[in-house]
Amino acid sequence: MPFSLQYLANHLSQFWVQTSENWAQRFVENHVPFLGHLPYSLGELIIMLMCCAIFVAVVPLLPLGLVLAERKVSAHIQDRVGPMRVGPHGTLQTLADGIKLLFKEDYIPKQGDKLLFILAPYIIFASSFAVFAAIPFGRSILVSDLNIGIFYIMAISSIIVMGVIMAGWASNSKWSLLGAMRSAAQLVSYEIPIGLSILTIIMLMQTLNMQEIVEKQDGLWNWLIFRSPFTFIAFFVFFISSIAEVNRTPFDLPEAESELVAGFHTEYSGMRFALFFIAEYANMFAVSAIAATLFLGGWQGILPGVDILGGLPGFVIKTLFLVFVMMWIRWTLPRLRVDQLMNLCWKYFIPISFFNILGVGIWGLIFPEDTLVSIVISLVIIVLGLIGVFAVFGKGVSKAPVPQASSAS
Amino acid sequence: MRQYLANIYLGVYTALVGMRITFKQLLQPSVTHQYPYEHSFEKKKNVRDIPKGYRGKLDNRIEDCIGCRKCEIICPVDCITMTTRKLPKGERLWDSMSVVHLKDRTEIVGNIEGDEKLVPDTTITIKTRDERTVSLSSEEVDRIVERKPVIFYLDQFDIDMSLCMYCGLCTEVCPTECLTMIDNLKDGIAYSTFDRTDLIYLFAAPEMYDQQTEASDEAEAAD
Repeated sequence: MPFSLQYLANHLSQFWVQTSENWAQRFVENHVPFLGHLPYSLGELIIMLMCCAIFVAVVPLLPLGLVLAERKVSAHIQDRVGPMRVGPHGTLQTLADGIKLLFKEDYIPKQGDKLLFILAPYIIFASSFAVFAAIPFGRSILVSDLNIGIFYIMAISSIIVMGVIMAGWASNSKWSLLGAMRSAAQLVSYEIPIGLSILTIIMLMQTLNMQEIVEKQDGLWNWLIFRSPFTFIAFFVFFISSIAEVNRTPFDLPEAESELVAGFHTEYSGMRFALFFIAEYANMFAVSAIAATLFLGGWQGILPGVDILGGLPGFVIKTLFLVFVMMWIRWTLPRLRVDQLMNLCWKYFIPISFFNILGVGIWGLIFPEDTLVSIVISLVIIVLGLIGVFAVFGKGVSKAPVPQASSAS
Repeated sequence: MRQYLANIYLGVYTALVGMRITFKQLLQPSVTHQYPYEHSFEKKKNVRDIPKGYRGKLDNRIEDCIGCRKCEIICPVDCITMTTRKLPKGERLWDSMSVVHLKDRTEIVGNIEGDEKLVPDTTITIKTRDERTVSLSSEEVDRIVERKPVIFYLDQFDIDMSLCMYCGLCTEVCPTECLTMIDNLKDGIAYSTFDRTDLIYLFAAPEMYDQQTEASDEAEAAD
C-alpha cells in the first residue's frame, strides 16, 4: 500500500488536532512535500518520531521546573528563600545543577553488576516517560488514544520497580539493596489500592480509554470525584497511594536519607543520578496527571464545554495543584516506619478500596445513568458523611494534644 | 470497628492540622538576608534591631589614638598589629584634648573652654581641632573623656578582622575610647570580600604626620 499524503494528514490530525480546518494537511502539503513519496510504514514511523521528539523535548522540562518548585516551596515553608543566585530568583538553578552533573565523574562500582548498573536508570527513565504517551493533555493533545489507556499506564509504570531493584542489586551496596527491597515491597503493595481505586472509575465509566473518561466529565458536578461518594473516597486512596508509588515523603523509605544514605541510587553519580532524579519528578507529574484525569475532570473545565486552548491550561493547573499538594505533604509529615507503611496499605487502603468497589457496584445498579438526581444525592451524601464523621469522632480527638505552631517568628 | 474508623479520622485530622501549620508558614515572609547583595537590613520584616552595645566590627578613630599599645597587649588572639615611633623628647603631635561623647552617639573632639567637668544645665563651648567653635547644652552630652597628649607616630595600626573574636577587651582598655565596636547593622557586619587579605583593616594614616615629620626632620637637619 503506497503511502498517501491524505493518510498522513489524517493521521497527524488524529494525533494532534481534531479540528475541522485540518491545518495539518496544509502544513504537510506546503512544508514537507517529500513525505508524500515515502513508503507507508516509513511515513508512519516518521509521524511517530515527530510525536516522540515533541514529547522528549517538552516533558523533561517539567522536572526542570518541578525541582525548582519543590525547592522553593520547601524553602518558603521553612521561612527561607531557596535558590536565588542562578538567574532571576534562582530560576536557572536546576539547569546549572544539570550541567554540573553532566561533567561529574561517572563512577561504576567495580564489584557491581556493570550491565544492570548501566541499564537501570534507563529503564526507570523510559518507563516513567512512556506513561505520558497515554495521558490526554487536552481535547486533542494526546500522543496515543489507546482503548486500554489506563491499563497501559498501570502496566508501564509498574516497570519502574524493576529498574529500582536492578539499580539496588547492581550497586553491590547494602544501602542500595535495602532501599531496593523496601521499594519493591512498597510499590507492589501500593499497586493494589491504586488498581482498585482505578477500578471504581472503570466500573462507573465502562471504559479504559482515557480520552473517553475525560469526555464524560464535563462540568464541575460531573467530575468523577463528585459522581458518587465512593469515588470521593477512592480519590484520596488513589492520591495517597500515588505518593507512596513515587516514593515521596512520608513514604520515602526506599531513599530514606537518615537510614539508607540515598537508597537504591546511593552508588550512582553524574548523569545517571540525574536520570533517576528527573524520572522521580516526571513520575510525580505523571501520577498527578492521572489523578487529575480520572477524578478531577482532566482537561474539562469547570463549566461544560468551556475549555480554553483545548483544555491544556486547565489540565496543567489541576495537575500542578496536585503536585503542590504532594510537596506540601512532603514538607509537613515525617517518614513512616516500614510496619506503619505496610499497616496503612494492607489494613486500611485495601479494605477501603474493596468497600469502594462494592459501593460503586451498588451505586451503578441504582443509578445506571448519571442524572442530576444522582449527582445531587452523591454531593449530599459526601457533605453529610464529612459532617457525620466529624460529629462522631471529632469530640474525642479534639481533646488529644495537638501540636501547635511555634509562636517564634 | 469504631477504633478502626477513629484511627482513620485521627490520621486524616492530624495530617490536616500539620498541613495547616505549614501552609501558614508558606505565606509568611522569609527571614533570609541575601547578605552580600542586600544591605538594607532595616527594611526587612521579622528582623529585630541590633541592641546598643552590640559588638560588631572594630573601628579606630586614628586621630585620637595615642599609641599606648594596651589593645595590642590585651588582645587574646593577637589580631591587632601596631608599630609606633616615639617623637623626639618634648615634642607632641598635639596637646591634651577632650572627647565629648554626645547622647546621639557621635563625638566632638576639641578643647573645652572653661570647666572640663560635666555640670548639669550649663552650656559647653568646644573649640575643635579644625578651629571651629561648637556650643552644646549639657543635656546633649553623655560624658567627657580626656584625651592624652600624643607623643607617638602611629606607622601601623592593622586589625585582622578574620582573627578578631569580638571579645571587646581592646575597647575596654582603650584610654581615649578611640577603639570602638560598631553597633549598627549597616556598617557593623559588612565583611564580604573575595580576598582574605582584604579583611586586614589598615587604620594607620601616615599622611596625618607628614607635615610634623617633615618639620621634625628639618629640625633634626638643623641640629
